[in-house]
Amino acid sequence: MNYYVSFGEREELISVEEAGVAQYRVTLGNKTFVVDAHRVEENTWSIILDGRVFEVDLLVGDEEISVYLNGDLYPLKVVNEQQKALSRTKETAEGGKQLLTAPMPGKVVKVLVSEGEEVGPNQGLIIIEAMKMENEFKSSAPGKVKEIFVKEGEVVEGGDKLILIE
Amino acid sequence: MFSRILVANRGEIAVRVIRACREMGIETVAVYSDVDRHALHVRYADYAYRLGPAPASESYLNMEKIIEVARKSGAQAIHPGYGFLAENAEFAKRLEEEGIKLIGPSSEAMRVMGSKTLARQTVTKAGVPVIPGTLEPLATEEEVVETAREIGYPVMLKAAAGGGGKGMRLVRDESEILSALRMARSEAKSSFGDDSVYIEKYIEKPRHVEIQILADSHGNVVHLFERECSIQRRHQKVIEESPSPFIDDETRKRMGEVAVAAARAVNYENAGTVEFLVDADKNFYFLEMNTRLQVEHPVTEMVTGIDIVKEQIRIAAGEPLSFTQEQVRQVGHAIECRIYAEDPDRNFFPCPGLIERLRTPGGPGVRDDSGVFEGFEIPMHYDPMISKLIVWGKDRAEAIARMKRALSEYVITGVKTTIPFHIRVMNNRHFIEGDFDTNFIDKVFFKEEAERELPEPEVAMLAGAIERFRRELRESLRSKEISGEGIGSLWKYTYRPGFGKKF
Repeated sequence: MNYYVSFGEREELISVEEAGVAQYRVTLGNKTFVVDAHRVEENTWSIILDGRVFEVDLLVGDEEISVYLNGDLYPLKVVNEQQKALSRTKETAEGGKQLLTAPMPGKVVKVLVSEGEEVGPNQGLIIIEAMKMENEFKSSAPGKVKEIFVKEGEVVEGGDKLILIE
Repeated sequence: MFSRILVANRGEIAVRVIRACREMGIETVAVYSDVDRHALHVRYADYAYRLGPAPASESYLNMEKIIEVARKSGAQAIHPGYGFLAENAEFAKRLEEEGIKLIGPSSEAMRVMGSKTLARQTVTKAGVPVIPGTLEPLATEEEVVETAREIGYPVMLKAAAGGGGKGMRLVRDESEILSALRMARSEAKSSFGDDSVYIEKYIEKPRHVEIQILADSHGNVVHLFERECSIQRRHQKVIEESPSPFIDDETRKRMGEVAVAAARAVNYENAGTVEFLVDADKNFYFLEMNTRLQVEHPVTEMVTGIDIVKEQIRIAAGEPLSFTQEQVRQVGHAIECRIYAEDPDRNFFPCPGLIERLRTPGGPGVRDDSGVFEGFEIPMHYDPMISKLIVWGKDRAEAIARMKRALSEYVITGVKTTIPFHIRVMNNRHFIEGDFDTNFIDKVFFKEEAERELPEPEVAMLAGAIERFRRELRESLRSKEISGEGIGSLWKYTYRPGFGKKF
């Protein structure tokens, strides 16, 4: 899985895959590490990286993760590819019209609104399952559902139109 | 010697006093409010009595109730700890009337030292240096100019009714004083409705250094050297150490003598602390005397080997001090960090709550004075201090290294704590070099921290990505289970750390 991890101004694409029990193959830029990461307490991880030991406390929000390491706080934002694509989609919505498109191939699990319905900001519109994950896509601004292009159970490709809101 | 002592306090200091009593074979009587029934001080005591509801005014500050408990429980003496009733002269007086011994000074010594004006007058007569200036408001401009010339620039103009920096003006030169006076007066007038202003010498780079004294009822007074308490945040001490990295032997000796003189001036009995401001040239000035045990007393215990609480109890029982001034030695170096339930990354916002996990540091030279345990709910009604971590080292460098080591081992979850803040201070160059004054945290440290580049961003980012990966894996497994699709076999996940834990 790929994640966009930002810390302050810096953003990195980090890919993670399992490499054994509590072992992860992690690629950051052109470097690949095998990280030994054990969750030893509710919020505490013991990590061995290139033989170095780290004790890391993580306070986990939805996208925000606060990492405490050696007394320092690293506030991170961690999003997966769908969320990243969605945030790009949102950025393109403007001028009163929001056209929601599928950020990647997936299956429409549920359509949460119907045509003609008034929606508020940040209201759930549709649930798409992609890469074994269900993702709820929300409206970025209030409006009226003008058109729904897909049906529940339908398989969509990345870039397919989903819902138009005016 | 007493056979039973009532401890009129809660939290770590009540536990500290009970420990001393236990070791001396003295029975203890704890008192508690409704939210403290589970607290350690209640469970470590031999007897315990409920005082009332959580608010301090209805429990730990309720004098008559505490006296009633002392009567009922047969306690011959009361140890007040610090805070609550510890410096309440009225309480001391009531105990004198009731014939219950307060483990502390007389109500008269408390009354004199509790009044800024009276204390200043009394110690001045005993030859103790005070910050030059007037405590009385100055009437005319001529008087202000003349007084400022007498005490020497820089001077500080202060609103007599003041507080919080309002109506305060720093004046470095006589040419500025009249305009500064007008501004201070008008600010004082608008803030407090009273434009009277007094004048005080301004102390450059002030350090807060205090001397621990012990005085018995036979006229013996000794000091146990100094504690450096300049690491303060919003005028509250957070890190203390002994010896001070700034004070030389000559100054130390003079401060000790002066502190003993201040104690003698009020016929002081029991443990007390004389606080001084020390300027950049090592001139020291009396600030006030604390007529009780201090929060930071352990650093003195660590370097002198004297158990101050036990000495307090012996003194109160009428015993003479068991050692002379010449026998008191300062060996090695001790540092204390106060661990508060506060978020250092959100302006030290208090975080009362449940302590979910607790792992205290150990190993050589480490002492943890605490009143909490895993599963304890820190009440919102009292001071949010969780514990005091104290280390001893053969010298300051070892003490700092040991404190960093101990802090890194200290685990408290469920509430935010000031442990990260202390680690950052221990790593600060100025702190390591002993180059700081009372303005250090607020004026220097936070600024340097904001600019500091954090050393391990990649480790943090990898940890964040792995956590997210694990979380998504778990969620997808769970949703598969719910949808009935199944995922072939779950066995390989069952032994993985963290799997199945609730979030």
